[in-house]
Amino acid sequence: MEEYLVEFKQIEEEALKDIENVKTLEDVDQNFIKYLSKKGKVSLLMNKIREVQDKKKFGEAYNELRKTVENKLNELKAKLEKEKLDEELKKEIIDITLPGNHLVSTNVNPFYKIIEEIENIFVNMGYTVESGPEVVKDKYNFELVNIPFDHPARDMQDSLFIDETTLLRTHTSAIQAMVMEKSNGKPIKIICPGKVYRRDDDDMTHSHQFGQIEGLVIDKNIKLSDLKGTLELFAKSMFSKDSKVRFRSSFFPFTEPSVEVDISCFKCKGKGCPTCKGTGWIEILGAGMVHPNVLKLNGYDPEVYSGFAFGVGIERVAMLRYGIDDIRRFYSNDIKVIDEFNKKVED
Amino acid sequence: MLVSLNEISKYVDLNGLSKEEIASRLTFSGIEVEEIKTLSSATNLVVGKVISCVNHPNSDHLHVCKVDVKDEILDIVCGAPNCKEGIKVIVAKVGAKLPNGEIKAGEIRGCKSNGMLCALNELGVDPKYLKEEQIKGIEILSDEFEVGDTDILHKLGLDDAILDLSLLANRSDCYSLFNVSRELGALFNRNVNILEAKDDSTYVDNDFKVGSLTPNCKEFSVKIVKGIEVKDSPSWLKNCLRSEGIRSINNIVDLGNYIMLLTGQPIHMYDYDKLTKKELIVRDDIKEKFVALDEKEYQINELDLCVTSSSKTMCLGGIMGGLDSEVTSSTKNIVIEVANFNHASIRKTSSRLGLISDSSQRFVKGINKDQVDYVLNLTTNLLKTLSNVDSISNIIKYDELNHDIKVISCSVDYINNRLGTNFEFSKVKEVLELLYFKFIESDGNNFKVEVPNFRIDVEGKADLSEEIFRYIGLDTIQPTLPFMETTVGGKSKDEQKQDVICSFLSNNGLYRVLTYTLVNQKMSESFKILNKSEGYVIKNPLTEDHKYVRTNLLPSLINCAIYNLNHQNNNFGIYEISNMDSINKNEIHLGIVLVGKKYKQDKIVGESYSYFDVKGIVDTILDMFNISSTRVKYTRFETDEFHPNRSALVLLDNKPLCVMGDIYPTKKETKEAMILLEMNLSLLFATKSKNIKFEPISNYPQSSRDYAFLIDDTVNYIDIKNEVKKCSSLIKEVGVFDIYKGKNIPSNQKSIALTVVFESNDHTLKEKEIEEAHNKIVETLNKKFNVSLRS
Repeated sequence: MEEYLVEFKQIEEEALKDIENVKTLEDVDQNFIKYLSKKGKVSLLMNKIREVQDKKKFGEAYNELRKTVENKLNELKAKLEKEKLDEELKKEIIDITLPGNHLVSTNVNPFYKIIEEIENIFVNMGYTVESGPEVVKDKYNFELVNIPFDHPARDMQDSLFIDETTLLRTHTSAIQAMVMEKSNGKPIKIICPGKVYRRDDDDMTHSHQFGQIEGLVIDKNIKLSDLKGTLELFAKSMFSKDSKVRFRSSFFPFTEPSVEVDISCFKCKGKGCPTCKGTGWIEILGAGMVHPNVLKLNGYDPEVYSGFAFGVGIERVAMLRYGIDDIRRFYSNDIKVIDEFNKKVED
Repeated sequence: MLVSLNEISKYVDLNGLSKEEIASRLTFSGIEVEEIKTLSSATNLVVGKVISCVNHPNSDHLHVCKVDVKDEILDIVCGAPNCKEGIKVIVAKVGAKLPNGEIKAGEIRGCKSNGMLCALNELGVDPKYLKEEQIKGIEILSDEFEVGDTDILHKLGLDDAILDLSLLANRSDCYSLFNVSRELGALFNRNVNILEAKDDSTYVDNDFKVGSLTPNCKEFSVKIVKGIEVKDSPSWLKNCLRSEGIRSINNIVDLGNYIMLLTGQPIHMYDYDKLTKKELIVRDDIKEKFVALDEKEYQINELDLCVTSSSKTMCLGGIMGGLDSEVTSSTKNIVIEVANFNHASIRKTSSRLGLISDSSQRFVKGINKDQVDYVLNLTTNLLKTLSNVDSISNIIKYDELNHDIKVISCSVDYINNRLGTNFEFSKVKEVLELLYFKFIESDGNNFKVEVPNFRIDVEGKADLSEEIFRYIGLDTIQPTLPFMETTVGGKSKDEQKQDVICSFLSNNGLYRVLTYTLVNQKMSESFKILNKSEGYVIKNPLTEDHKYVRTNLLPSLINCAIYNLNHQNNNFGIYEISNMDSINKNEIHLGIVLVGKKYKQDKIVGESYSYFDVKGIVDTILDMFNISSTRVKYTRFETDEFHPNRSALVLLDNKPLCVMGDIYPTKKETKEAMILLEMNLSLLFATKSKNIKFEPISNYPQSSRDYAFLIDDTVNYIDIKNEVKKCSSLIKEVGVFDIYKGKNIPSNQKSIALTVVFESNDHTLKEKEIEEAHNKIVETLNKKFNVSLRS
């Protein structure tokens, strides 16, 4: 038995010596073959078990030897394999500063961004969004909003007509009249975004086509102060949380009283800057209490119902917000320009 | 409307109020002051006398002058042709600030010059108020000016502040200086002193006849003044008109303009001796040619209001007088007309003829109908101060107009409810009375008021609430929120669907653009594929470029794409969703244009956009709307706008849903790919889609087989797929995993490789079952499409 142990020892030493000289994965494989394959030096030792009495002890010694050699070789193999992989990974080096792969983010004309923002504010306040056709009968554009047939606002100068009684809507109030008509005297709380058209030459501040959002609330006991509160909420949400609203008396055929609404300048907080032309205030929209004639014409008893209405110019808001100098930019759609409005996450 | 503060100070006490204060109060009360102008802000001016004037030695037009300005004698070089010894002139001394710069001491061609002799336009007066000789030469002052006087601007009426009012349609009463004065008197609670007019007639005229044969003129009155003298206006009147932006002509014309400025009432004057008959009758049944004061000929038609004398038009009522009866320098006797013409008639005639005058504008905007007699008397009262007068007639009158005073019933509760305020009765009363309303009845809450006749805009109690509001309101209104039944707001289903499509396209990198609805004729006629209905045409377009209401979106988007290509944007995709209103049909369309190549990384581009990019968009949209592919058909169609073999008309339930494909190569103005799509979203939104319902996934393994074969180019994949699918109920899915054309394939053929997936919900498939299905597929491909499989 002892002589076997000596032999075990000799083979172990020989193996460890061989392993010490291993340089490559091929060397590892050869040593596997030399020692651990079926005909390997270690494996062959097992044949001798028949010759010993203490088979248990022999077996243990054999297993130990085999394990030692095997572990050593596996260890080496792992080490060499890692070295080899590392070598290969070195070749796979990339420039980690190159631009990332092209994924896309939303790029919309600021016109739509403003509409969406305003819609969201009012929808969150429970308003329904309404829309309508752009070519309308003058009944909806004029008559039902208290602009009778001989009113100067109906001048051919100002509107684009298809025929005597059909035109491109000149304001989104045309949608209001349609909504009131189908509401059958029930309370209304809507906003109507859309494109409107005027007979204007296009220049920096005028466009024959532009966007408006009209708001209309009708119920019992609606007051001018409700309009002020609503617009103040709107301004705080749209422009700046400390926005203030100021009314100036004005005139629109469909409201009485009518007001021009100024908001405190959101750029300079009312101190005076180029955006507000030094006044601290920015004219933002027109509004008023729905004219009793409009209520009457659309089936609401003005002795019972009252309402307010307001209209915002979409490009105007966008021009103020982003400092756009020329309304025609909205319609040229240079994608580099559109990119500018979509790069930043705004507060 | 320009309002001279010097002028209105005569009628309302503005003492101690700054022009800014006045402007701001007016603006917040609904009369917007757009600008405060000053006629001249020149400084350091003095009256001088030219004591010598000799030609400049080195110039053929300059003069070298010695000018006495009392304290010193100045050497000044002057180029004005009218400069001569002895005249009194305006001298801008060294250091004077004029609109064109500061005056500095210097030398002009070798001669000393210490100041400048000025023309009025050099002081900042708009040349349109000046005569030609005043612009060409320097201003020669009258002898009343004293040498050394530095208060020139005041004496010339140039120190005036002018408010430029931007009047809204309701406040046409403020086209009158008297009414602006009344308004300021009310707003500042100041004394108002409007000119009174006396009956100054010297005889009763029984010969002259006035009348009207049309309901569109119910009041028409005249006064006849004889023995007048047409001459220059006095300087106070000239200065006043200049402040108001009107050029002085002569005392009679100027008087007419001045009366209109003061009262808001247009008046007209005829040369009495040039009238064909001693009558002026208003009629609207005349058809003739008429030469107006502007020396142009106009065609008068029925319904135009004409002031006639023996049936011949003397004046286009309320718009412009005729050349034949014009007041000229030789006129001795005049007829002064004051009338109420219907605003709608005036508006129609004026806009048809393109003839707009200060008079017609006032009538169109609305005038006080109750001041005809007053204005006539005021006119002759003032005329007497401007000219000798032999005789003045009584008022010769035609008046069928209802002059009842408007009365409005209202209550304090109504006003407070409408405004959200708590005003007391006394406050309401105080304000309305300041604004010239007269209380005729009241019980401390309900009240009745008479409306002052110049406030033609005030009609009902809502208007009274506005009066209160504009007088005190503004900041007194505390913000509240509407107290209403709570409702769920939101967008309509169609708008929500639009949003889904927008975010899909935006998130895939397409730019959402905004183009004009109105297009030119060429655009309106091209790409008329999806919507073939007739489009609207604008009757009164401003330009041919914006004359047609588009019926299809692609022409606008292609223009937009070309614009971008011209601006160095070469690879992009754009889309727009827009209303397409056409005769009898309103649709919402989606348009897409893809240009160039897809970006991979920074400026590195990959493959070009192709038909399959828009096809992919359609596939996904149909998927999002859960529309079964069996309801959709892809057909080819013929146009000169799309590539004939790389385009499709897509039918949904046999109705045209969408056109798409490569643009016809000669139409795109670029070498890069340009791929188009236009879809009728209204059709898509109106289409019923399957509801989403959960279906369990099979627990048994799938198995698949691949099939590759050559087939004619003209055979559609979708037909093959549908036929294959029909072969066995075990087929779960048919897909294509390779398409090849080119080398080793006949030129009119393509190689297709399909993969077919088999699956059962209740058992593991047996080889035999798959084999059966497989054989059926092979047989079908062979029979229906005459193809054999490639190995």
